[in-house]
Amino acid sequence: MKLGLSEIDYRSLFDNMIDGLAYCKMIFDADGLPADFIYITVNENFEKLTGLKEAEGKKVTELIPGIRASNSELFEIYGKVSLTGKPEKFETYVQPLGRWFSISVYSPKKNFFVAVFQNITDRKEIEKDLESAKTAARNVLKDLEIEKKKIAETSAKEEAILAGIADGCIAVNEKGEIILINQTAQKMLGYTQEESIGKLWHEILHREDESGNPISPEKGAIRAALSTTTTTTTTTTTTTSSFYLRKDRTKFPISRTVSPIILEGKVIGAVNIFRDITREKEIDREKSEFVSLASHQLRTPLTGIEWTIELFSKKEKLTEEGRKYLDYIHYSAVRLSNLIKLLLNVSRIESSSMSVVSKPLDLVELINENMREHQALCDRGKISFIFSKHPQKLIATTDKNLIGYIIQNLVSNAINYTPTGGKVEMLLEEKKDSLQFRVQDTGIGIPKKEQEHIFKKFARASNASIVKPDGTGLGLYIASEAAKLLGGKIWFESDEGKGSTFFVQLPLMSPDRAGNKELVLEPK
Amino acid sequence: MSVQKIVLVEDDEVLSKVMYTELTDAGFEVSQAFDGEAGLELIRSKRPDLVLLDLIMPKKGGFEVLGELKKDPSTKDIPVILLTLLGEDEDIKKGLRLGANDYLVKSSHAVAEIIEKIKTFFSKESHPEGDQPKI
Repeated sequence: MKLGLSEIDYRSLFDNMIDGLAYCKMIFDADGLPADFIYITVNENFEKLTGLKEAEGKKVTELIPGIRASNSELFEIYGKVSLTGKPEKFETYVQPLGRWFSISVYSPKKNFFVAVFQNITDRKEIEKDLESAKTAARNVLKDLEIEKKKIAETSAKEEAILAGIADGCIAVNEKGEIILINQTAQKMLGYTQEESIGKLWHEILHREDESGNPISPEKGAIRAALSTTTTTTTTTTTTTSSFYLRKDRTKFPISRTVSPIILEGKVIGAVNIFRDITREKEIDREKSEFVSLASHQLRTPLTGIEWTIELFSKKEKLTEEGRKYLDYIHYSAVRLSNLIKLLLNVSRIESSSMSVVSKPLDLVELINENMREHQALCDRGKISFIFSKHPQKLIATTDKNLIGYIIQNLVSNAINYTPTGGKVEMLLEEKKDSLQFRVQDTGIGIPKKEQEHIFKKFARASNASIVKPDGTGLGLYIASEAAKLLGGKIWFESDEGKGSTFFVQLPLMSPDRAGNKELVLEPK
Repeated sequence: MSVQKIVLVEDDEVLSKVMYTELTDAGFEVSQAFDGEAGLELIRSKRPDLVLLDLIMPKKGGFEVLGELKKDPSTKDIPVILLTLLGEDEDIKKGLRLGANDYLVKSSHAVAEIIEKIKTFFSKESHPEGDQPKI
């Protein structure tokens, strides 16, 4: 059977196909290389797909200027196909047209070729977008991996630090469940990480006071930290003696610091850092034993000297010369005695075992008492000593010995360093939650450049050493240490040659270190 | 009035001698012991009107001596004044709790003051508060 298709039938087929079609003649140059091609005939969709009008009879280089440069492969492939007759299929981007084409090409006879093509620009765009999306996703993944690695490194570092510190560290979440216990804490308490994580802190941390009574977790610093309502961090340091029980029920003395963990104003947990202070307590005990022994051993023969002098001067008939020598001995003995007393005070103050025993007392009365003790010294130097401004009564809960050291040292300094005929004035006033007193003198003052060192141990101003060569340089040191122990401060204003004013500010309620209270440090 | 008897228990030789001299001069009859054990023995044999008792001593400390005196019905009524060196609060409280009548601080008092205090102590003893003075 023979199919009879007319030329018109072919033409209609040709024009109605979806693909573009071009029948072309290849042009070769003198060297036989493909140089150009002429469109002999094209179908209707050719114009739609390429945007090229009236192409028939024209060279491609006329129709699409720049095509040789942008698509040299087109010439090579068409040339090869029209010579060899072997069909090819390929995709290409024609830059001057800004379009992608999928092209299949074959050769019906030598030097001629037919290109059937589709515009695949939209598909290519989608492919390109997809590729960009893939790249973006890959980049995000890469970033995530870097972040993950960073976090892993940071947490490894933190874990190493926590493991490395010599203090025990336990962190709890807002419910009080243990979320972290470092190796030191595990070793000190005898619990493993597995036994601790997820437990409530007081299932692991059992605290006792000095007499062996359990301390309720409700009264402790961790509960306080978790109940923190302010947005500022308040760190609680336990200064009183307390003990942690190990898993085997043996115990050890601790010092600890508990801080709430606050995130965006909300308490999300607490950190408890603690230390075994067995050795410190031992050293403290040895030190205070040594001090009391040494002072006892020194004071006994000294008292013997003083009493013998007393007896000697009473019982013996002495020449004037002899009495003078005895006075020298007596003077030296008194100085030695004072020095021992001061050193003992320094030692007591420096030893952390020094208990601050706070009881209510009337400051006005205490100062009056002190003034009476110094009256003789003032009379000798013709110094007027007045308690010029003070309330009728000022009751403060404080340690009598410590506040006594402060008043005693400031007053005796003021008198000792004020020239004959001068004036020493004492003022006392109550402020909000605190008391302030001032000791003002018309003395020699402290030279400007020596002022910053004046509270240091054994520090003496150069002019003070001239006026009173036998001073110890301990008085102001003791006064400032005592003020610190009471939770207060001491400062001064001084003009060399005109006088000094020392200010002392103390809380009306001093911390009691003998009781079982916890000292709350200033908010960070 | 008969001569009042005092037993002085003090281990430091110089302090003891000075006090002995001054107390004797003041008219008291004084016996000395230089450690706690000897002191206890002396008190038991002498039955003094007053014991002056140092705290830190060899063989037996002052607190131990005080405790034993107060435990023994035959010596528990003998008044005891403690001789402290530095006047530590802790020591004083402990001594008074154990039954001492009073205390003296050696390092902050002149001998004369101490003798004066002992005299005052005896005058109070002979005229306890509430008693009508005898005619």
